[in-house]
Amino acid sequence: MKTIFTLLLFVCCTHGIGQTEANIATGKKMAKINGGEFKTFYVSKTDKPIIVQPFLMDECAVTNVEFLEFVKANPAWSRSKVKRLFADSNYLKQWNSDFDIGKSNKSIYNSPVVNVSWFAAVAYCAWKNKRLPTLAEWELAGNVPPKNVKYTSVTNYIMQWYEKPALPVLPNVKTTYCNTYGLYDMHGLIWEWTFDFNSFINTGDSRTTANDNSNLFCAGASINVTNREDYAAFLRYGFRGSLRGNYCISSLGFRCVKNIPSNKF
Amino acid sequence: MKKYILISSVILLLFSCNENVAVVNKSAENVAAKTATTNISAASSSESIFALADTFQTQNKQNIVLASLAGKPTLIGMIFTNCSYACPKIVAQMKNIANKLKSDKKDANFVLVSFDSKRDNPAQLKMFASMMNLDNSWILLHGSEQAVRTLSVLLNVQFEKDAEGNFSHSNTITVLDKNGVLTFQKEGLEADKEETVDKIKNL
Repeated sequence: MKTIFTLLLFVCCTHGIGQTEANIATGKKMAKINGGEFKTFYVSKTDKPIIVQPFLMDECAVTNVEFLEFVKANPAWSRSKVKRLFADSNYLKQWNSDFDIGKSNKSIYNSPVVNVSWFAAVAYCAWKNKRLPTLAEWELAGNVPPKNVKYTSVTNYIMQWYEKPALPVLPNVKTTYCNTYGLYDMHGLIWEWTFDFNSFINTGDSRTTANDNSNLFCAGASINVTNREDYAAFLRYGFRGSLRGNYCISSLGFRCVKNIPSNKF
Repeated sequence: MKKYILISSVILLLFSCNENVAVVNKSAENVAAKTATTNISAASSSESIFALADTFQTQNKQNIVLASLAGKPTLIGMIFTNCSYACPKIVAQMKNIANKLKSDKKDANFVLVSFDSKRDNPAQLKMFASMMNLDNSWILLHGSEQAVRTLSVLLNVQFEKDAEGNFSHSNTITVLDKNGVLTFQKEGLEADKEETVDKIKNL
């Protein structure tokens, strides 16, 4: 049943490609994301939303093969050269060596590159003349419904993925669902770095600081949260809050975005 | 509370094979005290933050890289000048530490970096310095959004810009040794200065 479901998703997506904009300069297709107002699920109703301008987003996550090109062009980012400050010892551990993913690892060539730090992701995007999405941009892009597929609830779909342990071999990009923007795998394959991943103040330290989020996780105070049903968002924010910039994790990758000149909105 | 437990436990389940994340989640339980001290653990790097190549501008419009701070210990805080509550307190705390070190004849850099790339240009920083009575030994830095975000990630300082252009942020004072290695952090607005002073003296 699951296979049929996945297949169905795949078929729907391949038909939708026409809506994404080809980016000739970089070779990777990017989808146009409408701007809009964004409010994190935890802000109070009186807080003003963040205004997000329209932007282009990679239709899928950066793959191992794509990341290898970057490392070849920038040897300072190879496994043996990278500073521990910028990537911990798990950096690209799925590869055979500095400049070789490995013949025995063919199954992950087109899988999202994981075990990459925030610093490495930032450097890759800059190399492509792109950048990492902000948290607001990522959430706006990721929260639109899947295309041509009926779910009882997107949150339920996401939660089912979150509950599953990570797979031993990461599937290729574009193997989960495609959303109405034409973005693949926004949920269901990997977690993704955002530029300002360290913006959500929810670590243990939060109780020691003066900020608006500190009451979120204490007893009844979480009633302030705008959408209490969105456990999935809770999980994403919680995960981001537990990260540090040099962490390399086996289920965490990234995709890049690009500004649209304001006269072309 | 239930939600928090759910988040922690699911994340722990998902990533229990990764020591880094597990450590962070566990440590969350231990932070009930008003101020928290971070001695940098094995999970972090012992490499110099001076590896950050971005250029910043001082309140005197000089371009500098962090590496130019090498040679003496550095006390560094992140603030923004439109901040009415927490930031003046952070600055006051750092001033206390600076005064104590000066009277004990210990040389150190005192650095404030602004979160506010948009509004806190060198001129604004200069005005803030004089308003806070900071003498010439203080360096106030303006940087691009990318540079400031990167520095915040390196210093484990969390911050978020709101729709009005203001920031919520963690209140952290960081000590770098003379080579730029992060050696000590103090969190909280009521932190005791003696511990930080002692740490810098021992560098």
